Amino acid sequence: MSAKKRAPSSTGQGMSRRRFIGVTAGTTAALSFGTFIRSGLGAARINILTWSNTLNAMDDTLREQAKQYAKEKGVEVVFEFVNQTDLPTKTAAAVESQSGDIVTAWSDGAHLHDKALIDVSDVAEPLGKQLNGWTNIGKDIGIVNKVWKAVPWGIIPIAVVYRTDWAKEAGYDKFPDTYDEMLVLCRKMKEKGHYSGFALGRAIGDANQSHYPMLWAHGGAECKEDGKTVAINSPGTAKAVDYVRNLFKQSEIEDVFSWDDSSNNRAFLAGELACTGNAASIYWAEQKNAPQLRAVTGHALWPKGPAGRFGYSTAMGLGVFRFSKYPKECKEFITWLMQPKQYSAWIGVGEGQIAGLLNFYENDPVWKKDPKLEVIREIPKYVRMPGYPGPPTRHAAESMVKYVIVNMFARACKGTSTPETIKQAEAELKEIYAKA
Amino acid sequence: METITLAEGVLVRREAWYRRFVKSEALTGYFLISPAVFLMLVLLAYPFVLAVYISMTDRVLGESGKFVWFTNYIKLVQDPIFRNTVWNSFVYTFATVFLKMFLGIILALLLNQDIPARNLIRGAILLPWIVPTSLSVLTWLWMFDSLFSVVNYILLGVGLISRKIQWLGDPTWAMVSVIIVNTWRGLPFFAISFLAGLMTIPRELYEAAEVDGAKRFRQFWHITVPLLQPVIAVVVLFSTIWTFADFQIVYILTHGGPLNATQIFATLAYDVALVAGRIGEGSAVSLFLFPALLVVIMFMLKYLRRE
Repeated sequence: MSAKKRAPSSTGQGMSRRRFIGVTAGTTAALSFGTFIRSGLGAARINILTWSNTLNAMDDTLREQAKQYAKEKGVEVVFEFVNQTDLPTKTAAAVESQSGDIVTAWSDGAHLHDKALIDVSDVAEPLGKQLNGWTNIGKDIGIVNKVWKAVPWGIIPIAVVYRTDWAKEAGYDKFPDTYDEMLVLCRKMKEKGHYSGFALGRAIGDANQSHYPMLWAHGGAECKEDGKTVAINSPGTAKAVDYVRNLFKQSEIEDVFSWDDSSNNRAFLAGELACTGNAASIYWAEQKNAPQLRAVTGHALWPKGPAGRFGYSTAMGLGVFRFSKYPKECKEFITWLMQPKQYSAWIGVGEGQIAGLLNFYENDPVWKKDPKLEVIREIPKYVRMPGYPGPPTRHAAESMVKYVIVNMFARACKGTSTPETIKQAEAELKEIYAKA
Repeated sequence: METITLAEGVLVRREAWYRRFVKSEALTGYFLISPAVFLMLVLLAYPFVLAVYISMTDRVLGESGKFVWFTNYIKLVQDPIFRNTVWNSFVYTFATVFLKMFLGIILALLLNQDIPARNLIRGAILLPWIVPTSLSVLTWLWMFDSLFSVVNYILLGVGLISRKIQWLGDPTWAMVSVIIVNTWRGLPFFAISFLAGLMTIPRELYEAAEVDGAKRFRQFWHITVPLLQPVIAVVVLFSTIWTFADFQIVYILTHGGPLNATQIFATLAYDVALVAGRIGEGSAVSLFLFPALLVVIMFMLKYLRRE
């Protein structure tokens, strides 16, 4: 009965349902055909999957540069900014669905996805020749099995951040150059009620970035150069464990076990922390939140240990997907982006957020802007990735996300003996490295 | 059977085979449930079978991997971190479910009394359950913060503790913290479900018991508990499954730390599968308990049907 009632209106003055569907479908088809034609015949369009910077100005610069590039070369470049923590998942999704052109290979990204990336030696090598060569860390993250799979783009340099006023009180005009001296300084500051703190909790950045350098500087390492043989059980590791335990007992705040990546920033900004490991982000935040601390905040390189000076900072490279339709355009764009004109403009707005991995950029004007940040320019020279002295493999990445090294140190600080905590870390590492 | 007559009325003039089909009840039955079956296959069965399959491969993100049977599961059993995770998950689940059940019954009994503004209170009780978990847990994160913890501030202020508690920094306290927050979040569901159960128990039973001279506790033990049992069973069953699969609270509060003291299945699976990229092994982590849970569920459902 309802059908009878509806009948007149569907054939009458209005548009019938069937006709409506027909028209809609037709329009959609026509529109998508138009898009198809345009995308097929029009200029190249490059999609770049990257992280959204905590400093918006840096992303804005990239957007502007993309526009400029489109104007100059007629190639449209689209940056897709995603949350840093989502980048690995998004990259995996892009690989699975075979979509996208350029990807930001995060730290070990080029090693993890090397099969999905093309050889970019013809970009990286000329750039190295042109701009005084690549740093070690650049080669570590970019070269996979002797082939350049990503063009090193930069690191987020992690430095020692400390209170210059309290250090002075303890008798230090500048930050000590060795770990042993650093221990003395931190102890003296604690005696005056000023605690230090290096995250030992689940701070994927700070905890790892503070403690891998301590491990390496004392001669310890999780594996051998082959990147396959577990080598954590060594006198060097034992030295590092003892050092971290002493540092904790003599100078650190107990809170470090619960710290996430933002905890030390907050504590420092609240004037509760004398020394920690962090990016320059504390210093920027002070501008707004604690301007009185800006004059007494200093940055320093990670000290030297018996085995030398090391650092670990998040690094990134630019890789080109095997399935990109425009490999040639992608390579040209990366070369263009790495040129001093563009690159300096980009790191220039960052004020220490990013340091370049071409030796040329050690002398970039950005490092002259603020004497407090100048020391950061040297950091790339000392940076290594988890897995050192081997390559940054999937195994090294897994041991890092499972906090094997950090937990080894944390257990020692909680009272476990040195041999016992190393043994436990060794068991965990062997489990990880036994995998294919 | 009005429907059939209607259907005949409409269709009889078209095809005879169709009429026969419509008349055959069994066929019609299958036909009518087919959309539901289709949805179950696509939305439930396919992802599940796929997950089981992936857990038996050595697949890593971006590569297809090969079939390795139960290798992932065997490796997990040997992994000290995973064994630790199993223990933590059990502690976390049983402690929270017990607390929620115990406190839930008390709360339900209180809410079942004639108290002023009863409906308002009943509504307010539901708040922790309604607020998006990730947001409310962020607030807890601040309350447990090592430096700015309001909880420590109050406890120190009233003199209950002499030095601040490392809520999220000490392995034992961290487990206590996630248990507290999970209990807080899940309690309303228990309380409201129990309350609904309580309200279906006829008043006459209590009145009769009172006439027979039974005191409050005996009334509770001999009337309330037996009659509430089916509700308790269902709620506990659901909560056990949810808690075993819980992710948000632990991920936000402790991320599994310190020293893996609060690492549970979901957080470990996330770290292994999505951060370290070992999809196969990560699936194995999350499916590891499936057989055990299945047995629990079957027992519970059987019990419920008997009831």
